[in-house]
Amino acid sequence: MISTKNITFSYNKDQTFIMPDLYCEAGSTILVTGNSGKGKTTYLHILAGLLRPNSGEIHIDKKEITHLKGSKADKFRGKNIGVVFQKSHFIASLSVLENLEMASWLASGKKHKARAKELLQKLDISEQAHKLPSQLSVGQQQRVSIARALMNEPKVLLADEPTSSLDDKNADNVIELLENLSKEYKTALIIVTHDSRIKQKFTNQITMV
Amino acid sequence: MIGKLAWKNIWFKPLNTILSILLLTASVAIITVLILVEKQFEEKYQSNLDGVDLVLGAQGSPLQLVLSSVYQVDDPTGNISFDSVKVWMNHPYVKKAIPLAYGDNYVGFKIVGTTPDYIEKYKAKIAEGKVFEHNFEVVVGADVAEKLKLKLGDTFKGTHGSAAEGEVHEHGEYVIVGIASKTGKVIDNLILSNIPTVWQMHHEEGHEESQDEEAANPAHGEPGHVHHEEEELAENPAHGEPGHVHHDDEEIAENPAHGEEGHVHHDHENDMTIDEPNMEITSVLIEFKNKMGVFMWPNLIAQNTKMQAALPTYQMNRVFDMFGVGINALKYLAFGIMLISGISIFIALFNTLKERKAEFALMRVNGAKRHQLLLVVLLESMMLCFVGYLFGTILGRVGIVLLSKASESDFKLGFNPMEIIWKKEGLLFGLTLLVGLIAALIPAIKAYTLNISKTLANA
Repeated sequence: MISTKNITFSYNKDQTFIMPDLYCEAGSTILVTGNSGKGKTTYLHILAGLLRPNSGEIHIDKKEITHLKGSKADKFRGKNIGVVFQKSHFIASLSVLENLEMASWLASGKKHKARAKELLQKLDISEQAHKLPSQLSVGQQQRVSIARALMNEPKVLLADEPTSSLDDKNADNVIELLENLSKEYKTALIIVTHDSRIKQKFTNQITMV
Repeated sequence: MIGKLAWKNIWFKPLNTILSILLLTASVAIITVLILVEKQFEEKYQSNLDGVDLVLGAQGSPLQLVLSSVYQVDDPTGNISFDSVKVWMNHPYVKKAIPLAYGDNYVGFKIVGTTPDYIEKYKAKIAEGKVFEHNFEVVVGADVAEKLKLKLGDTFKGTHGSAAEGEVHEHGEYVIVGIASKTGKVIDNLILSNIPTVWQMHHEEGHEESQDEEAANPAHGEPGHVHHEEEELAENPAHGEPGHVHHDDEEIAENPAHGEEGHVHHDHENDMTIDEPNMEITSVLIEFKNKMGVFMWPNLIAQNTKMQAALPTYQMNRVFDMFGVGINALKYLAFGIMLISGISIFIALFNTLKERKAEFALMRVNGAKRHQLLLVVLLESMMLCFVGYLFGTILGRVGIVLLSKASESDFKLGFNPMEIIWKKEGLLFGLTLLVGLIAALIPAIKAYTLNISKTLANA
C-alpha cells in the first residue's frame, strides 16, 4: 500500500538524512522508532507529503507522490493520508462533529455527517460531538484526532508519537484503537514513536539511526 | 463551509470582534449621517432657491435678508416702500417679481402676504379649495394643515410678529380658502395671504388714533376725497339699486349665518387693495429675464435706493463654506475611527494567527489548499466590516430620525432617514470592505505561505 525507496532529505548542507526504505500493506502496521533528532518526524512529514525529499520515491496505492505539487498534493493528501499528531490540533471555533465534517469537506467537498457520527460512536465519544475540542480531555482529544484521520478512508494512516502525552491506560487504548481501525478500514498504519510502551507490541519495526 | 468557518472564527473571540464592529459602526454611522444630511440639506436649500436670482429688501445683513425671505428662518431686515420697489419690479430685466410682506404668525407658522406667483414658484398645487383672492383669505401649506389639523373654512386669529407668544390681533379673522399640496419646501410651513391683508391687519390697529385724517379729507367729489362711513350711508343708493354700497350693518343682516355657504367675514368694499399708496412690504423675490441683472443690480440698488439687493446663491455658498469646515472635521474624525478599526482588526487577526498556525497547518494536512486559508482570513475581516457597515448604516439612520425631530421643531427642516444615496453610500460600503481587505492582507498572506511541516514540528 505504501512503499519508499532511497529517500534522502536535508534541512541544510551539513546534515543529510538517509531514510530507511519501508513497505507496509493495507491493514498492517509498521513502527518507526529511534531517538530524538534522528529524523523520525521529518520522515513522517515526508511520507505525508508535507516535505519534499531531495531524492527517492514514495508510492502510495501505486501512485508516485514526490512529484505532486501545489493543490494536487493537497488534494491527494486530504483523500489518501490520515495523520494523527502527538498533540491534537483542532479548529478551535468548530465543534467536534464540525471538525470531522470540515476534514471531509476539505478533501472531498462533502461533509459526510453520517460517517463522522459513526466514527465518533465507534471511538466512544459521540456524546462529545457538539462540544468544542478545548472542552475535551486529552485522551478524548486524541480519539477525535484518530476519528478525523479516518474520515476520508485514507490508504495510509500516519501517527506521530500518538501516545507520548497520554497515561498508560489511555496510551493502551489509543494503540489498540489505531490497530483495530486500520485493520477494519484496510489502512496501512505507520506509527512514529520513541515510546517504549508501544515497542513491545509490534514486531514490524524500523529503527532510525 | 469556508464562510461558516470564518463566521464561527469571528465569534470565537467575541471581545475582539465587538470592539472592531463598534469602531466600524461608529465611523460608518457618522459618515452616513453626514452623507444624508449634507445632501438633503443642500437639496432643500437649492430647491427653495429655484426661480430666485435676487432678493430686494431693507438694508442690513444680506445673509439675514436671504434667510428670512427665501428660507423663512430669520427675522426680516426691515420694511421697504412698496411704491419705490414697484419701479424695480416693473423693470424690463425682470421676468417675475414676487413681493413678500410679513406681519403675523399663527402658533408659530408665519403668515406671509404675497401673490399667487409665490405658490407657483414652489410648484405647489392647490390641493383643496382655491387660491386666496380677497383680503383675509389664506392658503395654508401642507405641513401647517397637517400639523394643526386645519381644513377649508376654518378661521383663526393671527399673532403679531414671528413668535407664537406675541400679541393676538383681536379683530380680523383669517379664513382658510385653500390648502397647498406638499412640496418638501418652505412653503409647506407657511400661511399665505394677499399683501393687502397684511396691511389691513396692521392698518386697522392704528385706525382709531388717526382721527385727524378726517379733517384733512378733501370735500366729497374732489380728488383725494376718502369716503367715510356716515357720508357713504347718506349717499348710498337704496339696497338692490345699482351703485348701492353695502354697509357693515346691512351686510351683517344679509350675510348667511356663520358656517353656511356664502358666509363672508369682511366687507370687501372697504378692504385695502394692492394699489394703496404709501404702504410698505418686507422684500421682493426677483427672477430675471436678463441675467445681467444679477451683476448690475446690487450696485444699482445700493447707489440709487435705500434698499439692498442680496444674491441668495452667493450668500448660501458662504453659509455652506462655513458649514463645510465643520462637516469636513466630522468626516476626518469618522475616517480616523475607521482607520483605527482597521488597525484593530489587523491586530486581532495578527495576534490570533499565532494560536491558529497549528489550526491552519492541520487544515492543510486535511487537504485544504493555500488559497482556502487565505480566503478564511480575508472573509473573517470582511464579514466584520460587513456587519459593522450594516449596524453603522442603521445607527446612522436612527441618528437622522433624532436629528430630524430636533431640526423640525427648530427650523421646520426635516430629514428623510429612508433615503438611500446609492452612489455615496455604495462608495462608503466599498471603502469599509477595503479597510477589511487591507487589514487582513498581511495575516492572510502569512496563512497562505504557512510552512506546514515546520509549524507542526514545533507545535
